[in-house]
Amino acid sequence: MITSLLRWLKHFFQPPPAAKLDLKRRGLIVGGIAGVSSAFLVRSSALGQRRTFSPELIRPPGATAEDDFLARCIRCGECMKVCPTNAIQPALDEGGIEGLWTPVLKMRLGYCEYECTLCSQVCPTQAIQRMHLEDKQKIKIGLAFFDRNRCLPYASARTCIVCEEHCPTPKKAIWFEEVQVMTPERTLTTVKQPRVNPELCTGCGICENKCPITDMRGVYITSVGETRHPKNQPLLDPYAS
Amino acid sequence: MARPKTTWPVWLRRTSQSAFLLLFFYFFLQAVYRPINQTGRGVDFFFQLDPLVLLSSVLASHKVAAGLSLSLLTVVVTLLAGRWFCGWVCPFGTLHHLISSWRSARVKERLTVGGYSRWQRSKYYVLFALLVGCVFGLNLTGWFDPFSFLYRSTATIIFPMANDAIGSFFGWIYQTDPGIGPAKVTSVSEPIYEVLRRHFLAASQPHFYGTTLLVLFFAAALFLNLYRARFWCRYVCPLGGLLGVIGKNPLVQIKQNQEVCNDCRLCVADCQGGANPDSAGGWKPSECVYCWNCHSACPHHGIVFAIHVPGGTK
Amino acid sequence: MADCSRRRFLHACAMTGAALKLGPLALNAATTSGPALSIARYKTSPQAPEAIAEEARRLTQEAVNGLGGMGRFISRGDVVWIKPNIGWNRRPEQAATTNPDVVATLISMCYTVGAKRVIVSDNSCNAAPPSFAHSGIQQAAEKAGAECFILDERKFRKTALQGKVLQSWDVYGDILGVNKLINAPIVKHHGLCKATLGMKNLMGVVGGERNRFHQDLSNTVVDLATFIKPTLVVMDAVRVLTANGPVGGNLADVQRRDTVAAGTDQVAIDAFGATLLGLKPQDIGYIAEAHNRKLGTMAFETLKPRRIEI
Repeated sequence: MITSLLRWLKHFFQPPPAAKLDLKRRGLIVGGIAGVSSAFLVRSSALGQRRTFSPELIRPPGATAEDDFLARCIRCGECMKVCPTNAIQPALDEGGIEGLWTPVLKMRLGYCEYECTLCSQVCPTQAIQRMHLEDKQKIKIGLAFFDRNRCLPYASARTCIVCEEHCPTPKKAIWFEEVQVMTPERTLTTVKQPRVNPELCTGCGICENKCPITDMRGVYITSVGETRHPKNQPLLDPYAS
Repeated sequence: MARPKTTWPVWLRRTSQSAFLLLFFYFFLQAVYRPINQTGRGVDFFFQLDPLVLLSSVLASHKVAAGLSLSLLTVVVTLLAGRWFCGWVCPFGTLHHLISSWRSARVKERLTVGGYSRWQRSKYYVLFALLVGCVFGLNLTGWFDPFSFLYRSTATIIFPMANDAIGSFFGWIYQTDPGIGPAKVTSVSEPIYEVLRRHFLAASQPHFYGTTLLVLFFAAALFLNLYRARFWCRYVCPLGGLLGVIGKNPLVQIKQNQEVCNDCRLCVADCQGGANPDSAGGWKPSECVYCWNCHSACPHHGIVFAIHVPGGTK
Repeated sequence: MADCSRRRFLHACAMTGAALKLGPLALNAATTSGPALSIARYKTSPQAPEAIAEEARRLTQEAVNGLGGMGRFISRGDVVWIKPNIGWNRRPEQAATTNPDVVATLISMCYTVGAKRVIVSDNSCNAAPPSFAHSGIQQAAEKAGAECFILDERKFRKTALQGKVLQSWDVYGDILGVNKLINAPIVKHHGLCKATLGMKNLMGVVGGERNRFHQDLSNTVVDLATFIKPTLVVMDAVRVLTANGPVGGNLADVQRRDTVAAGTDQVAIDAFGATLLGLKPQDIGYIAEAHNRKLGTMAFETLKPRRIEI
């Protein structure tokens, strides 16, 4: 039994002619060059080596730093299937061609549920790191910004504040100031104008998701402030809080 | 010539393929919210079986994700017995197989179509390019890995479409509520719909960006089977390539009875992998997916697979 | 029978896409008269989880019994929708959703007096499956024998509300097939309108772009409350959320009030709920609006509420 196995092992490395892989050196050289050059092409692109950051490249919470993420993610779409809000979407060019079909969050379709870690639980390669809920709730995936030209209490003298209502952080990251503004009828009215506290905002995007300005929201998330990258930060000391 | 009856190994293989395809969809549906903040079991089972996922992520990120070591089982089985995984387990392979078998008889009659083509090398080059990319930190394996391809397409195309179609159908019945007198169709359709909603359908209809591109690639991979049986598995699949490399000289080998062979080449016409089952000494184990179609197709029962220990009886 | 033909009429309207020309939703009111408001309060504030559950059960029973018992509202064969607040993916201790033991007790009481079916559901703000499960309401409701399901997007139908600002809106179709509705809100803080109480809880039976309501919340909430008019309101104030509402999440913002109130006057019970948060009823827009439209009275003390101390 053992001798026949050894014989077979010997045979495996010296197969008969028909069993040999029908490979040509030229094909392997072309394949190798394609592999190396694509890697360096990606590194030399604008997004490569984190020279610039894509505002729309909002990764699921727990995603590793971009280089490591691209080394792990197999674009299988498990996170897209499991996401209970449908927020996780296959990227087109948000992360360059090398990011095609990797997961990005689109807050207009869904948002990151504060009490949820499902995407990290299903990821087969841990490109999204498995973690406890309490740790996930500390992760920032981006940061919310108000567009004062579109947000109703700023632009239209109407009350609204749906964003503040939905904000899930224990102390709300969206706060508001009561301001007297002029209505189109030239009367004064008091509205609540929302602001973002960047230290508390996790970038979950429920504000953008629930904003009633349906096409281009009055509040939106960009990737800046994301915990996974120390260079993509707006604040003096992002890790202070 | 009348086609011989399908033999039992083929039925066994079909059973296995059906079971794993169903298992794939079962595990797919498990990837859903369960109380509290959990998913169902086995959601990444097929990825755990996939040595290409393990190899590429180790090469690219220098880290092993826990759970992927199950794929070593696939490696051992392939090393000893050949690419059975492609023919008996892989759900993407099963889909290709299914569509390949829909090819018209006219295409099949061009008997040489099933034979080996030198272009089948390309999958090894694809594999090599991907792995070299991984060594330099760029992991694009997911574009071509069969489980990633199938899961991604199911999640973003098939499932949303099926979910919408089923929901719309029952919604239409609900809205029109046809029936005769007090007997209403909804009294039957609504309970069925509730069961579907609980166990199969999404809690709310999923929508995805960029489905055009996704569906173009998926449809292309499926339709190319009409040109060559298992086109994807033969020419493109890097996992097939990897298993071909691993299983290039397995213990399970083809045995052809040259005395009964009259060169009818029916075995070649039905061959899923382009592995030259007709050729004495020319059979290509790296291309064979052990579907046993050749065994079933041979009118003279001249082909069988058996354990072959080299150095023994030659 | 009236319900049956009404349903068929609704189907016909849904097919033609026409908005309905109907008056306020004809949910059956209480069968007999009795007190309009009953407030049950625990004098102690137990801390053990099982003791809090027992407290919620006792308070719910006593509050409803204070109005004359569930038999006053639910008759044999009734189809009842209990509408708790399941708006958020939060656990019961965070007081963003109705106490599950209050809901379970209501279900049992309905079945005891002969209800045919009891349905528990809400149109959640967070994703529905996590909200239903995490709030504990799904498990509690199913254990008590109710049907607890996520609302079905197909069943919202454009319905004529003929309100002051809401002419027509998507209302959940199946609510039109139930003949009793028990509104079971929780008392909590709300950034925009100061407090989320009973009438605002009715936003959970409508669909569509509810995020537009906030531009005139007082009128939209009262339009809904005028149209829907629940048979009974049972208000959970075992725990109340005093800040960062309506989502909450910080246990420091949760306080015990150890109270459950039950009533038939939506405005009065909301007015009482407001006082639990230290607010004046007239400062809450929709309470003042409802009072002005004579939907009820915010001077709840004039109803001589029955107070039960345990």
